[in-house]
Amino acid sequence: MPNRLLIKQFLRSGIAIAGISLLLLSGIISLFIGKSYLEKQRDKIEATAVYQQQHIDRNVQYGHSEMGLLLYYLRFAYVNSINPLNGLSIGQRDVNLGIQQVTIRNLIEKKYDSDLNNPASMVMGNLDFSFVLIYLFPLLIITFTYNLLSEEKEEGTWRLINIQSNAAKKVLLQKWWIRSAFVTGTLLLLYLLAIPILSIPINASYLAMIAEGVLYILFWFIACAMVVGWQKNSATNAVSLLSIWLLLTIVAPAVINSLITTKYPVPEAMATVVANREGYHDKWDRPKEETMGRFYAHYPQFQQYRLPAEDFNWLWYYAMQQMGDDDAAEHSVAMRNKLLLREKLSNTVGYFIPTLHTQLQYSLLAQSGLKNQVQFLDSTTAFHEKKRLYFYPKIIKKLPVLQEDWRKHYAVEYFKSEPPVNWIKLLLPLLLIIILFTTINFIQFKNLK
Amino acid sequence: MHTTTLQTTNLTKKYGEQVALNNLNLSVNKGEIFCLLGQNGAGKTTTINLFLGFTNATSGEAKINNVTVQPNDVATKKFVAYIPEVVQLYGNLDGIENLDFFSRLAGFKYSKELLTGFLTKAGLQSEAHQKRLSAYSKGMRQKVGIAIALAKNADVILMDEPTSGLDPKATAEFTRICKELAAEGKTIFMATHDIFNAVNVGTRIGIMRQGELVHTLNTSDITANELQKLYLKTI
Repeated sequence: MPNRLLIKQFLRSGIAIAGISLLLLSGIISLFIGKSYLEKQRDKIEATAVYQQQHIDRNVQYGHSEMGLLLYYLRFAYVNSINPLNGLSIGQRDVNLGIQQVTIRNLIEKKYDSDLNNPASMVMGNLDFSFVLIYLFPLLIITFTYNLLSEEKEEGTWRLINIQSNAAKKVLLQKWWIRSAFVTGTLLLLYLLAIPILSIPINASYLAMIAEGVLYILFWFIACAMVVGWQKNSATNAVSLLSIWLLLTIVAPAVINSLITTKYPVPEAMATVVANREGYHDKWDRPKEETMGRFYAHYPQFQQYRLPAEDFNWLWYYAMQQMGDDDAAEHSVAMRNKLLLREKLSNTVGYFIPTLHTQLQYSLLAQSGLKNQVQFLDSTTAFHEKKRLYFYPKIIKKLPVLQEDWRKHYAVEYFKSEPPVNWIKLLLPLLLIIILFTTINFIQFKNLK
Repeated sequence: MHTTTLQTTNLTKKYGEQVALNNLNLSVNKGEIFCLLGQNGAGKTTTINLFLGFTNATSGEAKINNVTVQPNDVATKKFVAYIPEVVQLYGNLDGIENLDFFSRLAGFKYSKELLTGFLTKAGLQSEAHQKRLSAYSKGMRQKVGIAIALAKNADVILMDEPTSGLDPKATAEFTRICKELAAEGKTIFMATHDIFNAVNVGTRIGIMRQGELVHTLNTSDITANELQKLYLKTI
């Protein structure tokens, strides 16, 4: 079959080279945007590590003689590790706090803080690789395929093809393959370029991203073939495909997001902060015995340390802070569960919407989605608790500040999560949709003349 | 002994209540150039489409090389080549590439020399062979169409208004080529409005009116002026 000539015919149409070049350029720009994002995050983390040491030294040497007072000020950084795959899918990472500066005081109020952001860039979103894949690649696929058959019919070549051969469908299939191969090749080239640009290790997560991306592209090619199979004119095909693109990339995700936030509202977000603040502010006016009673109930291991009869004691102060977290705990857990329910529902709906599914899977693999953020917050809570339990006895016993070896607190601690790739959840939804559409195409094209 | 290449028996095509072709009985022999005259809507293109298998007959049958087109259009395709009123090819491939593409579709792989030979035989100047089709005139496209037919080595060449829009010189050249092909044993079946060219190129002429074949004439028995009078009287 005349593959070589069909390739020539495709490449000589001005739109082929222009479209592929533009897409390649967009892809490369997106990789450098990802690189810039990663560098910025790494710079922040490096600066945090330096700052932590300086901060501890300054406070220990020049500040505070009491352990309780020192720990009022001391902050310990806890970092959500940067995965190079974040550079491909920034997700929520630029909105959520990736470095938590934790004191041993109350945590919950602070835990949900966000980073400062440029509102203009939030409106525009990130031109990261996932954006190029999910939004721009389908547009090029539509441009390449909408008139695959209609152009032949409108220009009159289809009759001649039909007379010359009984394999006219094969010509159509070859044209489809050539376009698929060039677009997939462009995608694979971008994945290849991403390795040195973003220093991506070739591991299961990256291979999963590649597989997901290729299937996503294939989905669009098969969806376009389905519209081509309706055998309408070029204008109708173009409008139909652009409507499908608009529906899948913009309308459906927006509607689903709205439905999910309506189904699972999070009034606990406000309630958590208020409960946390009131939880400890209120204790200034409450009898100390009441506060200590609840503190001992929470930490029976400290019951042996009774509150001395003095106006101010750090044990009571930290117990009061502890109460802030305890009072907000119910709201905080409820909020966490709601967030996970939102995540779960998004994933379920995503199984039926390839654009949403691909975005969610990219966020999952790049560790830049809601699930990662919730895990990071859970881990931050554990980190905070570990610090509390380490320092509480020292505060209670009023150990001298300089007795502590502060050098061992210099190092910044990291949260790292690399869940195994669930290949079935990743690929099966797209595969099933592709199989369904292929079957429809097979039926549609069976009697094509 | 004449060999019948194209034959129709009571061939009828209806679109709903509209009769496009009514009981057409016709046979065209090997090496003949049969020109079908008639107004728009007389049934000329419908007849060609039925031979090509592009549309199914309501009743009757069309045969090529004694094989019934319907339902054997897959088999009869290999006997026919087709030159439409405007030969539409790929504008961003050149003459040789277009010929190569359509020849390969028909199952023929020719060397560049052979492809060039077909184009030359069809009358296309050698300077044009490697120019993209988007730069071709209608006459040049017709010649590539003829080259495609030559390369397919089909027994029958069906032509639908092939000289429409061609200048006199191009028409004369086209006529010459058709006669050469007929002399080589190809059967040419041509739908046309061009009475003078029909007399000039054809061996036989049929005149159609409202889906029916009203007259069949040998071109040796009639002059162009007589044919014109008969045609005008008939339609």
